[in-house]
Amino acid sequence: MTGQASNMSSVKLGLAVAWPAFWTGVPIKIVIALLLLAMGLYPWEMPGLAFLLLLSIPIDIWALDLSAKTVFLERLRLQPPARVGVTLWWQAMLLYALYLPIAYLIESQTVAGAKAVAGRVFELELLKSLPVPERISIELTMWGSVAAVVLLALVVGWLLGFGRIVGMQVATARPAAEPYQALVRQWDLLRVPADQPLLLTVLTATGVTLVVLFWAFMPVTTPHPHELYQKPQERVAPSLKPAEALQKTEKVIAQAELAVQALEAKARAGSKNKDKNKKTGKRDARSKAD
Amino acid sequence: MNGQPSVLEKVFAFVDERVGLKTLQAKMLNEPVPGGSRWAYVFGSCLLFIFILQAVTGILLMFYYVPSADHAYASTQYIIHEVDYGWFILSYHFWGSSAMVVMVFAHMSQVFLWGAYKKPREMVWLVGLALFGLVMAFGFTGYLLPWDQRAYWATTVGVEIMDKTPVLGDFIARFLKGGPTPGQMTLSRFFVIHVMILPAALMGLAGLHLFLFRKAGPAGPFRGSTEELKAKTDFFFPRQVWKDIVAMAAVFVTICSLAFIEPVVLLEEATPDPGDYHPEPEWYFLFLFQMLRLKIFAGEFGQFLAGVAIPNAFLLLLAALPFIDRSPERNIFKRPIALIGWIVVMAGILIFTVSAIINREFLD
Repeated sequence: MTGQASNMSSVKLGLAVAWPAFWTGVPIKIVIALLLLAMGLYPWEMPGLAFLLLLSIPIDIWALDLSAKTVFLERLRLQPPARVGVTLWWQAMLLYALYLPIAYLIESQTVAGAKAVAGRVFELELLKSLPVPERISIELTMWGSVAAVVLLALVVGWLLGFGRIVGMQVATARPAAEPYQALVRQWDLLRVPADQPLLLTVLTATGVTLVVLFWAFMPVTTPHPHELYQKPQERVAPSLKPAEALQKTEKVIAQAELAVQALEAKARAGSKNKDKNKKTGKRDARSKAD
Repeated sequence: MNGQPSVLEKVFAFVDERVGLKTLQAKMLNEPVPGGSRWAYVFGSCLLFIFILQAVTGILLMFYYVPSADHAYASTQYIIHEVDYGWFILSYHFWGSSAMVVMVFAHMSQVFLWGAYKKPREMVWLVGLALFGLVMAFGFTGYLLPWDQRAYWATTVGVEIMDKTPVLGDFIARFLKGGPTPGQMTLSRFFVIHVMILPAALMGLAGLHLFLFRKAGPAGPFRGSTEELKAKTDFFFPRQVWKDIVAMAAVFVTICSLAFIEPVVLLEEATPDPGDYHPEPEWYFLFLFQMLRLKIFAGEFGQFLAGVAIPNAFLLLLAALPFIDRSPERNIFKRPIALIGWIVVMAGILIFTVSAIINREFLD
């Protein structure tokens, strides 16, 4: 092992390979996911998920191979072992199979526990009067920060495991004899092939094929939204029935007419009473004056 | 091969002689990138790419959209249900606006964490902040255009928040609404601002941003000795261009996927009666909306504080940042206040946004 390799912790080594490998694979996986969506298959449900996972295998092997070779040459100054991508991939899959269920269990239990504790804290008499928005934010911060810390620890734990796997490969690698510039050129050529026009032609052809497939699969009208993302149904306005509407209007007009007539009659009766009162009032005044 | 130039080469030579294409090409592509190309530098290019596609999809939508209170809703429904691929163009435009906000946050975060706002790049930072304001304004004005309940009430809430600004608030609110309640005048004004004023302003400011950036030059990584950076320095073409293209493709595909997963579905047509609908703004303003719900910000003054004073004070602080933080140190791990500040702001935005989503359950 070289000096650089022995200076690197397992977590750092794991991160140096896993992080670029993840991002190298992402753009290709999203393209596949989009094509599945255009075909009406959801990549997180069967059979779309199986299709995506299956296609992810060669992509992940290639991405791991590329990023591991780069780390070996550029940072560790080591000649990468043959088939490093495949070796790292199957060992990482083994680690996933063992670690992921445990990590899921720990994280879900932590979230449930932290939520329960936060809920109990808010049952205290002192905090019961706290308004809903404040309560939500404080509760979320309480259980969210615990869950985030545990999640971070789990990620570090996985990186530690993966770093050890990479470390095993580092232990078998022999130091690179070439000068640094030659090593840089070597890992640079992993990405930029000597025959660049060929690469551009292949990329353009792939791009055109993907675009044609995308437009061929895409529905012309709105696809039915996934049940998880369905918006509230639009309320349908009652349809207009002309005969009923006319009858209703006639009734309303007739009622209004009756009401107006009643009001007029009341007003007339009121004015007669007022006249009578005025006359009796004048008579009373005269008799008082006499 | 007879050694004679082809027709295409002749045309190129003709234009080059008059315009100077080769010089332009050299200027555009041969920009030195200190420390070499990086994935961290792709956000700016992605923003430009998203904006161009927003303009293209926006123009396509304008072929069918009618900006009147009587027809806006019906024409949007027509785009969704009748026009071939109309649902996709509209949904892409809708998710593209969210992507633009996310990318602005990513770009600003990268510049902040890399310390790239420091001397001599203060002007680039200031123009960038103005562009951030324009992106938010794009989102706000575009939200009203479908003229459904969500659009109507999000705008009502937004304008009410603006109304809380002292002195100018009343004028801004009246200017935007064009009447006591949102109506035809509001829609016309928002449409004009969205499709005429903001794009022109954005194009001008983006050009200025790029000019100032090229004038000052890229900041490069915050770690590494001068010799190391010099040894790794590369030109913009081809490596950074390749990274930019891959990132743009990934952004494009992500927006398309979102359009498929959750295509735009309108609520009922806008009415001045919210009915069962609980008004709320677009997701990137949710944190602010949730802050306004806190008891500490109750009342006229409290609402002004949370809705206007704090956000504007924060923006002013960002504008003053290159003049306050004069230390040449760019390494974020040696700038603890900046790092903690960034984490606190991001965590605050995240907590309040998620809180606003949880809060919906208590309203129904």
